[in-house]
Amino acid sequence: MPLDAFTPSTPLTLGVELELQLISLSDFDLVGASDDMLELLSRAPFPGHVMPEITDSMIEVSTAVHTHYPDLLSQLRASRDALVSAGEQLNIGVSGGGTHPFQNWSERRIFRRPRFRELSALYGYLAKQFTIFGQHVHVGCASGDDALYLLHALNRYVPHFIALSASSPFVQGKDTLFNSARLNSVFAFPLSGRAPFLLRWDDFEQRYFSKMELTGVVKSMKDFYWDIRPKPEFGTIELRVCDTPLSVERAAALAAYLQALCSYLLDRQESDPIEDDYLVYNYNRFQACRFGLDGTIVHPRNYEQMLLREDILATVRRLRPYAESLDSGCALEHVQQMVVEGCDARHLRMAHAERASVEGMVDAALQRFRDGEPVARG
Amino acid sequence: MGRLSCGAGVSAMLDFMNQLMAVASPLAWPLVLMLAWLAGEFGHRRIGLPRISLYALVGFALAPAQAGLLPAQPPEAVALLAHIGFGLILFEVGHRINIRWLQSNPWLPATSVVEAVLTFGAVYLLARGFGLPPTTTMLIAALSMATSPVAVVRVINEQASAGQVTERLLHLSVMNCVLAVFAFKSVVGQVIFGTSGSLWHALYSSAIVLLVSAVLGAVFGYLIPALLRATDRAVQDSTLAFAIAVVILVMLTHSLKLSPLLATLTFGMVARHRRIVLSRAQRGFGILGELLTLLLFVFVSSILSWSHLVQGLGLGVALVLVRSLTKVVGVTALARVSGTTWRKGALVGVAMAPFSVFAVLLLEQTRMAGVDLMSQLAPVAAAALLLEIVGPVLTQQALRWAYEMPEGQES
Repeated sequence: MPLDAFTPSTPLTLGVELELQLISLSDFDLVGASDDMLELLSRAPFPGHVMPEITDSMIEVSTAVHTHYPDLLSQLRASRDALVSAGEQLNIGVSGGGTHPFQNWSERRIFRRPRFRELSALYGYLAKQFTIFGQHVHVGCASGDDALYLLHALNRYVPHFIALSASSPFVQGKDTLFNSARLNSVFAFPLSGRAPFLLRWDDFEQRYFSKMELTGVVKSMKDFYWDIRPKPEFGTIELRVCDTPLSVERAAALAAYLQALCSYLLDRQESDPIEDDYLVYNYNRFQACRFGLDGTIVHPRNYEQMLLREDILATVRRLRPYAESLDSGCALEHVQQMVVEGCDARHLRMAHAERASVEGMVDAALQRFRDGEPVARG
Repeated sequence: MGRLSCGAGVSAMLDFMNQLMAVASPLAWPLVLMLAWLAGEFGHRRIGLPRISLYALVGFALAPAQAGLLPAQPPEAVALLAHIGFGLILFEVGHRINIRWLQSNPWLPATSVVEAVLTFGAVYLLARGFGLPPTTTMLIAALSMATSPVAVVRVINEQASAGQVTERLLHLSVMNCVLAVFAFKSVVGQVIFGTSGSLWHALYSSAIVLLVSAVLGAVFGYLIPALLRATDRAVQDSTLAFAIAVVILVMLTHSLKLSPLLATLTFGMVARHRRIVLSRAQRGFGILGELLTLLLFVFVSSILSWSHLVQGLGLGVALVLVRSLTKVVGVTALARVSGTTWRKGALVGVAMAPFSVFAVLLLEQTRMAGVDLMSQLAPVAAAALLLEIVGPVLTQQALRWAYEMPEGQES
């Protein structure tokens, strides 16, 4: 199947997908309840979309396409409220977080749908270990060339999103010392990592995708697990490195941060991306996963070492005028606040220390999702 | 000469047999446990039956009233261990109960009341139809309300099931047990002991017993986590501490003639809400829990006798059918409004079949109090035995139909 033509979409429009955990409120473990939730949610109109994911203890919600951060935020909040109240009927808690801290992957069941069964057969334990939860943000692009430009221009900022969203410190009951342990699971897949360095859509289609297709390794864009990938049928690029944050407010702020960043990059404020930018890519990515906001990254052009925390604050300052024009000033405030307060992984570790159990930590995550975070008025 | 030596031979043989028996009789219980374990493993691996069904079957077959391998009077220690096993499992059940769910979805308590009342009414009418006196009828009806949370949680753990049917099953079985204990104690109080002849007094005094039991359990639920926090060993040692506390609580409630059921259940619930939790590995108290469960299920069915079974068979079978029907109807009726599907509602109803352990222990307790209800309630004994073996099979099947078991076990 040849690649879809790139359908142009309104630049800088946003769509957010959140993969969420379904948790039994009896024992705080993941519970296979997506069909129960979907059945109950289907009885009333849902703000946005809700669908099953690969294992049945996971549910995915996505927003409509939004231009403005406040609308995105209010839809995410409405979705959250609908999910929480459905969950209350079923003794199921809904939670953010990139991993469940103590679930045992061998106990997860694969959702009964053919594509999921196939994936499970292909990847074996990887598919179940893939019980990880991410936030994907789509940004609309006017053309395929714009999409590829943004995709590569963003490379230097990918660690920002990893560190800001990091919410997966624990795996199978143990502290991994990573802030985002989730991305390590993604890395296990053969087609993960970065997209090939091609800046023109025609090249991407002819010199890369159709060749890959000929090799028989891939059938569609879905087979790539890149950190950022183009989605031609939507006319977007999709950022996939974020852990699902503990609150929808944080998810909305991250999306708005990306939107402002894209607006700034499309304004051609920086020199064009080059292949060599990727020399430091995996190192920086590791720093962000391991140390979160305390990581040290290397600038791809001048090789200067900088604290991730400082780099984000500097970027926020640069983006302010763009955010103002996009009506997302308070989202940037929120990002700044995250840098000061620390990422969700830190929140989870504190809950673990305080409550002395991984179950207590899950409870804290549930509470954070349910109650949300206050957002400053812009 | 020949006769003499023969006589001497016989007496020597008898002597030897007696000596053998003297050596062997303390071995009877451990040997039966070993046999039950073997049957449990074999039946579970080969035929896929729940282990507890097979334990019960072995216990019944080798009971003093049947094959007679077990001594006529169970050793004090065995009865005690069985009650401790019962307490441990109930603690675990309580530990998995989320009271907040019952508040946020009031249709669940409503479902429980509906199915329990429906069962009481239908069984009452049925037993009256069989010509039993009203007193006995009411006792049978009260007992029939309960689903054994003990059997339920064992099947759930054995199958590692999780999901809506599992959750509802657990919560509904706890609720209808509390209702059943309340109804049973009220009837016993009013009719059997005839304490004051007033229904209100009977209700009142049984409510007091339940209340005091619950309060005692709650006190433990606060004290033990506080103690663990104080000794700063919240993570490592909690399982052992909880097990010892359950033993104390069981002994205490027995000697105070309170309800160990409600006390251990409340203990678990309160401890859970104090957020000190059993680790997953220790769920069901690990190997200690396994051992005492085995003993409990053998013990309970060894109390039942074939003669009771035959005597009460007709009504017993009818009772099993009517009870299953009312549970399915009651739970299904409120399934959709309580947030699930008709199908899952019906499956919860089917899964609620087990009741024996609970009923039999309750009967044992009244027998110790000087009233032998067992012979009066032969139909209950018959139903108990049937459901002891068939009940867990139904529960397991319902969970399988609901796709709530991990993949390897689904097929």
